[in-house]
Amino acid sequence: SELSKDLMPGPYPRTPEERAAAAKKYNMRVEDYEPYPDDGFGYGDYPKLPDKSFHERDPWYQWDQPDVRHNWGEPMHWDFDMYIRNRVDTSPTPVPWHTMRKHFLIFLSTMLIMFGLGEIYPSYRPVGPKQYPFNDLYLERGGDPNKEPPVVTHYEI
Amino acid sequence: METTLLITSMLLTLTVILSPMLLPLLSETFKNSPTTITHAIKTAFFCSLVPMTLFIHSNTNVIVSYWEWKLAPNFKIPLSFKIDQYSMMFFPIALFVTWSILQFATWYMATEPYTTKFFSYLLMFLIAMLTLIIANNMFLLFIGWEGVGIMSFLLIGWWQGRAEANTAALQAVLYNRIGDIGLILSMAWLALTLNTWELQQASSPTQIHTLPLLGLILAAMGKSAQFGLHPWLPAAMEGPTPVSALLHSSTMVVAGIFLLIRTHHMLASNQTALTLCLCLGALSTLFAATCALTQNDIKKIIAFSTSSQLGLMMVTIGLNLPQLTFLHISTHAFFKAMLFLCSGSIIHNLSGEQDIRKMGNLQKMLPTTTSCLTIGNLALMGTPFLAGFYSKDLIIEHLNTSYLNTWALLLTLLATSFTATYTLRMTLLVQTGFTRTPATTSTNESNPTITNPIIRLALGSILAGLLITSYITPSKTPPMTMPTITKTAAIIITILGIIMALELSTLTHTMTSPKQNIYLNFSSTLGYFNPLTHRFFPTKLLSNGQKIASHLIDLSWYKKMGPEGLADLQTMVAKTSTTIHSGLIKTYLGTFALSILTILSTQI
Repeated sequence: SELSKDLMPGPYPRTPEERAAAAKKYNMRVEDYEPYPDDGFGYGDYPKLPDKSFHERDPWYQWDQPDVRHNWGEPMHWDFDMYIRNRVDTSPTPVPWHTMRKHFLIFLSTMLIMFGLGEIYPSYRPVGPKQYPFNDLYLERGGDPNKEPPVVTHYEI
Repeated sequence: METTLLITSMLLTLTVILSPMLLPLLSETFKNSPTTITHAIKTAFFCSLVPMTLFIHSNTNVIVSYWEWKLAPNFKIPLSFKIDQYSMMFFPIALFVTWSILQFATWYMATEPYTTKFFSYLLMFLIAMLTLIIANNMFLLFIGWEGVGIMSFLLIGWWQGRAEANTAALQAVLYNRIGDIGLILSMAWLALTLNTWELQQASSPTQIHTLPLLGLILAAMGKSAQFGLHPWLPAAMEGPTPVSALLHSSTMVVAGIFLLIRTHHMLASNQTALTLCLCLGALSTLFAATCALTQNDIKKIIAFSTSSQLGLMMVTIGLNLPQLTFLHISTHAFFKAMLFLCSGSIIHNLSGEQDIRKMGNLQKMLPTTTSCLTIGNLALMGTPFLAGFYSKDLIIEHLNTSYLNTWALLLTLLATSFTATYTLRMTLLVQTGFTRTPATTSTNESNPTITNPIIRLALGSILAGLLITSYITPSKTPPMTMPTITKTAAIIITILGIIMALELSTLTHTMTSPKQNIYLNFSSTLGYFNPLTHRFFPTKLLSNGQKIASHLIDLSWYKKMGPEGLADLQTMVAKTSTTIHSGLIKTYLGTFALSILTILSTQI
């Protein structure tokens, strides 16, 4: 059957007694209990747990549920389905976040700029205009046979 | 006459492949087992040699159309198979490689429960892949496309109790799905403008609009792990080694490139799309080769090598050379599958050790496996007259003699030298030097189930290039004249890479361990791409999704659209009309005047 009314989440706790009762309900210490701010979004008295994913929990400790690294009765995060081991990992990276972002963006922007430069200055085999014999085919192109053909210089490559 | 024989033998091959799926349904006593499935694929391989020989002899392209699904009065989808150079050559190669992998897997997966289910999954994957290859219309291709994606998910997450394997399988499916957006976009465009999904009708005399081509390139990006949608391929190494050998080296990852080969007549006229392919491929091949330089897991090195070769195939598509791309696919299948099988043999013999820093001197302990590993690595580097040479050297020659983006050319050449470097690093750390394995490992490769497939694939990787190029006439004239330095560019760059690797290995033996520096960090964490994308986007998507689904929708429907909204409306109306109900004579006189003025103005 369902949970009884006093075990379900309730309204935002206003007095210290309500806070203590809510902390007891969620199986937390009163010092640790911190509800979400009361801004009309409907969190009620659900505790605001630190945004840490299950990757950060000790893999070698004997958890009650080892696959999700969770003990029985422990309060679950509001976004717990985001923080399981198949989804987001919030464990600290060896390199700080802003360094990672900076290095990656430097790499990506360098590549894109160089690709752009490569488009402007492409690489190709050396080519030259075609050179025809017989004074640039003067007679075959309908030139006057009595006149002197114009001088054509050819280059040897 | 020959055409009939061709089609009949093709259908026979397909039936043989389907038989392990169908026979248990028809007979009550027949049970599948790994050996029956292996034998079925072996028979199918020998059957598929018949249509290949007939095709090479007659050089007739055939499109076989059966039945028709009348989706709409003007739009019919037949079950059509295209029998042309690509499908006829790929069938024997895929079946040969699959046969060797299945034979190897009978030994590798012997200690697993549910081996028959594993082999059935591999068989279903093969059926989906062959459907993709032989499809003549986009619908059948899409069926095969999705089929290989799903089987990849099931096979990567084979050891489903392991959270990393599940994450990797999920990654594979999601990245493939992003590519599928592109494929469905181009299918929709084709259906709207050309009213067909048949590939032979898709070439119009005018230029094809860039949008469907971008869709196809996105599909190839997703399926073939180009830069931007690449993280799933190294993560897919969580699956068992036969899965990595079959899917993520020879067959599934080439499906994206194969799509671009099948639709190359649409790409050929659009220079923007070709340049995009070229640049994307060059970036992918360099990025993957850079990441492979600092990896320590043997399977990850081979995975990045696959990713790099896929980038090279994309570069070849960008050069408008589909036949050469297909040649590279074929030769790559042989030596890459062999590399994975050798690594699987090494891993099993060292009782699950995958870190190359803990292997050494395996040349003496596992001579056959490591010799074949060397042959595979030489073929990968493009050693003259092994299989990889015929395709890779030709690609680099074409690159050097074409009109193309200079940076793409430089990146590809750099990636070729990196290929030599990381291959040699892997060879040196695994096969030579002092033993770094624990002293009590018992290595044993006397089982012919291991050695026969590996030796068969080694023979294939030596001979395949020569055989294929001898019997298939090229459709475009290759560049014939070029300066000596251009002709030998590939060899020189490979040798430079080898020298670099040897230099670095002597450095590691004589100097202290490397400290962290920018380039080492960038390379070993795969360019920071994984943490940056896999933390930022899912967090934003999932938390915003949760907020919209629970807070916003609850807020709007239960509150604003319901009681609270109604209450707000009421209070607003009440507040505005309070001024009139206050009892002051001035307001009453004002309303009288206003109403008389309104009535008078309507009368006039």
